[in-house]
Amino acid sequence: MLAIVLGRILRMVVVMFGISVVTFAIFFATPASDPAARIAGRNAAPETVEAVRKDFGLDRPLPVQYALMMKRLFITRDLTSFANRGQKIIPAIANAAPATLSLVTGAAILWMLGGIAAGIIAAATKGRWPDKILMGLSMAAVAMPVFWVGEMVNLVTQSRFHDTWAFSWVPPLGYAALSQDPWLWFKSLVFPWLTLALLNIGLYGRVLRTGIVETYQEDFIRTARAKGLPARKVLLKHATRSAIIPIVIMFGMDFGVLVGGAAVLTEVVFGINGVGRLTYQALKVLDLPMIMATVLYASFFVVIANAVVDMLCLAIDPRMRRA
Amino acid sequence: MNRNRMPASRRRHMLAGATAIALCTAFQPALAQDDAHYGGTMKLLAVAAGGTLDPQINYTAIYWELYGFLYDGLVTFKKVAGADSAQVVPDLAEALPEVTNDGKTYTFKLRKGVKFANGKEVTPDDVVASFQRIFKVLSPTSGGFYGGIVGADKCLAEAAGCTLEGGITGDAAAGTVTINLVAPDAEFLYKLSVPHASILPADTAASDMGNTPIPGTGAYMIESYDPNAQLVMVRNPNFTEWSKDAQPRGYPDRIEYTFGGTEEAAVNAIMNGQADWMYDPPPADRLAELSTSAPDQLRVAPLAAWWYAPLNVNLAPFDNLKARQALNYAVDRNALVSVFGGPALAQPVCTILPPDFPGHEDFCEYTLNPGPEWTAPDMDKAHALVEESGTKGQKVTVVTDDSASSRGVGTYLQTVLSDLGYDASVQTISGDIQFTYIQNTNNNVQISISQWYQDYPAPSNFLNVLFGCDTFHPGSDSSINISGICDKDLDARMKAAMALGVTDPEAANKEWAKIDHDFMALAPAVPLFTPKDVDLISTRLGNYEFSSQYHWLIANSWVQ
Repeated sequence: MLAIVLGRILRMVVVMFGISVVTFAIFFATPASDPAARIAGRNAAPETVEAVRKDFGLDRPLPVQYALMMKRLFITRDLTSFANRGQKIIPAIANAAPATLSLVTGAAILWMLGGIAAGIIAAATKGRWPDKILMGLSMAAVAMPVFWVGEMVNLVTQSRFHDTWAFSWVPPLGYAALSQDPWLWFKSLVFPWLTLALLNIGLYGRVLRTGIVETYQEDFIRTARAKGLPARKVLLKHATRSAIIPIVIMFGMDFGVLVGGAAVLTEVVFGINGVGRLTYQALKVLDLPMIMATVLYASFFVVIANAVVDMLCLAIDPRMRRA
Repeated sequence: MNRNRMPASRRRHMLAGATAIALCTAFQPALAQDDAHYGGTMKLLAVAAGGTLDPQINYTAIYWELYGFLYDGLVTFKKVAGADSAQVVPDLAEALPEVTNDGKTYTFKLRKGVKFANGKEVTPDDVVASFQRIFKVLSPTSGGFYGGIVGADKCLAEAAGCTLEGGITGDAAAGTVTINLVAPDAEFLYKLSVPHASILPADTAASDMGNTPIPGTGAYMIESYDPNAQLVMVRNPNFTEWSKDAQPRGYPDRIEYTFGGTEEAAVNAIMNGQADWMYDPPPADRLAELSTSAPDQLRVAPLAAWWYAPLNVNLAPFDNLKARQALNYAVDRNALVSVFGGPALAQPVCTILPPDFPGHEDFCEYTLNPGPEWTAPDMDKAHALVEESGTKGQKVTVVTDDSASSRGVGTYLQTVLSDLGYDASVQTISGDIQFTYIQNTNNNVQISISQWYQDYPAPSNFLNVLFGCDTFHPGSDSSINISGICDKDLDARMKAAMALGVTDPEAANKEWAKIDHDFMALAPAVPLFTPKDVDLISTRLGNYEFSSQYHWLIANSWVQ
C-alpha cells in the first residue's frame, strides 16, 4: 500500500514538473512577451526597461529563472504577480479557491443526482416515453454551451424578469462567502449550480443508461434474474453498480478539471471570481507567475482526483481488485 | 498613453439619433439642497482590476480616474467639466510656481496644514522624497516626463541611490520646494499634474507597493484592495477641503469598485439599480437598445484620442513613400466611422493631433479635393501612386488586436489594400499582446491598428512620442514609435517647438500644426478616426461631469 502511495506521489511530481517546464518554455518562446517591457510600462525609457529587467532577475539564464521561480513558489512561497505587482500568488489562489470549490461541489452534487436518476429511469423504461423524453432532454442539455445557457439565465433572472415575483429574490451577480452569509451564499449560487450541472446531467444520464442497457446482456444479470431476484434489485444492485464505473471515472476527471479552473465560463458569466477567472485574466495579460501557479494547481487537482477515482473503483467493483 | 487608458475592447454602436438626447445632461434643480447629496455608497463595476495601486507606477486609465481623488501633486488639472478641465491649478502648492532662471527654476510654496491619511502633515521633505521615488521605483515615465530635472540622468542610470542633487531642494523653514530643470520645458506643469508626480509620505518604501495602499492627501483613501474582488474607497478622516478646483470634498461617503463578470452583466446591474457605473464600454448590441430605452442614462463625450494605422517605414511595401500616400488616399474614413458605430461615436480625421487639441488645425491632404475636411477617398490617385511605387502585388499583413472594432477596421483595410493590388491578409492577436508585438521591429509588422490617448494636453504628447527619434528602439518591446520613422529635420523642429512653447505658446502651437502637416506629407501612419467616450450611469446618479483629463469625475457625482 505504501509503495502504491509513494509511486503515485512520484508520478504526480514528475507530471507537474513536466507541465511547469512546458509552461515556462512556451511563455518565453511567445513573441511580445518580454516581461521587462510589460512591467516597465508604456513608452518607458530604455534605461528603465533595463533596470526593471535586472531588478526582477529577468537578465539571468532561463534555467536559473525557472529554479528561482519554483523556489519562490514552493519554498519561500512569496512569488508575486508580474501584472498586479505586489499581489502574492499563493494567497490570491487561496482566496479564489473557495468560490470555485463552492460552485463545482454544489454543481457536482446536482449533476451526480440528476445524471444517475436520469440514467436509471431511462434504462428502466427503455424504449418507452420516459426514456425518450429524458434522452431528448439530455441531448438538448449536452448541445447547449454553458456560456450561452448562463447568459440566457442572466437575461431572465437579472434583466427581463428581474423585477417579477419569480426572480426578485436573485441577488446581484457575484460570490458571497459561505462564512459570512450562508443564505446569501446559497441564493447567489443556485443558478450557477444549475447552469454548470445541466451539461453533465445530460452527459452522465446518457452514459449511465447505455451502460445499464449493456450490462443487462451480461451473464451475471441473467443469473440474478434466474435466481428470482426482484427486477428493482437487479437494476439497482447489480446492473447499476457495474455500469456506474465509467460514471465514477468521468466524475473524477470532470471534478478535478473544474476545480482546477475549467469552470471559467460559468465563473465569468456569473461574476464569480474563482480560480478559472484568475487563470484567464493571467493568460490575457501574460502574467507568468500566476499562469504557472494556476496551471500547477489545476494539474494537482486532476492528479489527485484520478488517484481518488482509482481507489473508489476498487471499492465498487470487486473484479478490479482481483486484476 | 495607449489604449489602456481606454481599453481596446471599447466597442461602440449606437443609433445616431439617440446621441442628441444622450448629450443633454439631466437638469439638476435646487443647489440649496446640495448638502443632502453628501453621503451614500457609490458602486462601480469593471471586468478586471488595473494592477498595482502605487500612483507613481500605475499607468492605466481605470486607476488614473481614481487617483485624482486619492492623491495630490504640487499642481493638478482643474476638476471641472468642459474646456476648463485642461487648466492647471495649484494643489498642494499655495499658488502656481514662480518661474525664474529663464524658465529653468520652479519655486513652489506649500500649503500649510494639509495632512496625509496617516495624520502626518505634508512637508517639503515629502515632496523631495516623492520626486526621488519616481526614479527609485522605476516609474514608466521617469525618463519621458521627469528626465529633464537636473540630476535625473544619474537617477536613470542608478535608480537605487537617486538623490536628484541640484534638481530638487526643499526648505523646511520657508515651506518651499525648488525644482531645477536642465532646459526650459513648457509642459512641465502638465507633467507635475499627472498621478506619477503624486506627493507621498517621505517614509514610503522605495519599491512598488503593489496592493498595499500608500497614504495620500486626497478626499478619499483606500480601505481595502483585492485585484480579484474589490477596491473600497472611504473618506480620508484627515482631509479638509482647501480648494474645490484642485481636490473637492466629494459627494459619496464610500466608493465600492467591484471587479469581475462581463460587460453584459454590468449593464444589467446598472439597469437594475445594483450599480451606478461601469468602467468598460457597454457592449455594442446593448447600446442600440439602451439609446431608446434609457437615453438619459447614457453620456457621450469627445476624447483626446487617435485611432491610427502605423505604417512601418523601414519595411516593404511601406518603406516607399508613394505606397504610404496611396493607402492614405484610398481609405474611406466614413466607412471606418460606421465600422466603429457611426458618427455618434467617432469622427473622421486626417491629422495626427485630435480635433480641439492644442496645435490642431483642420486640413486634409489625402482626400478628393484637398481642403480643411476629409470628403471622400481618391481612388484614381491611389491607384496611380501604387503603380508608380512599383509595390503592386506585394504581400501585406494587417496586425489587429482581438476587439471587435480593431478586427473590423483591420478587415476593412484588407479590402482597401486588395483593391490597390496588394496581396493583403489580417492577423489578429490578443489585445494585451498586440500592443507590444507591433512595437518590436523583430516581429516585422508592416501595418497595424493602434490607438493613442493623451497623457496631458500638449501636442508633443502625440507627435514627439509617436514619431520622435528618441522613442524608436529597434528590437525592443518598448518602442512606441511603431512606424519607426526618424526624420532628423522634423525631429529638430519638434525640439525647437517644445522650446518655443516656453516663451510663446501661441507661436509654438502654430508650429506644431505645421509639423503635423509635414509629418502627414511623409505619411508614417493612416489617421482613421477620433473616438468618443460612452458612459452608462444609474438613474440615482446625479451631477455627472466629464473632464478631458480625468474623464468622468467620479466623486463629483452624487448617489442620493
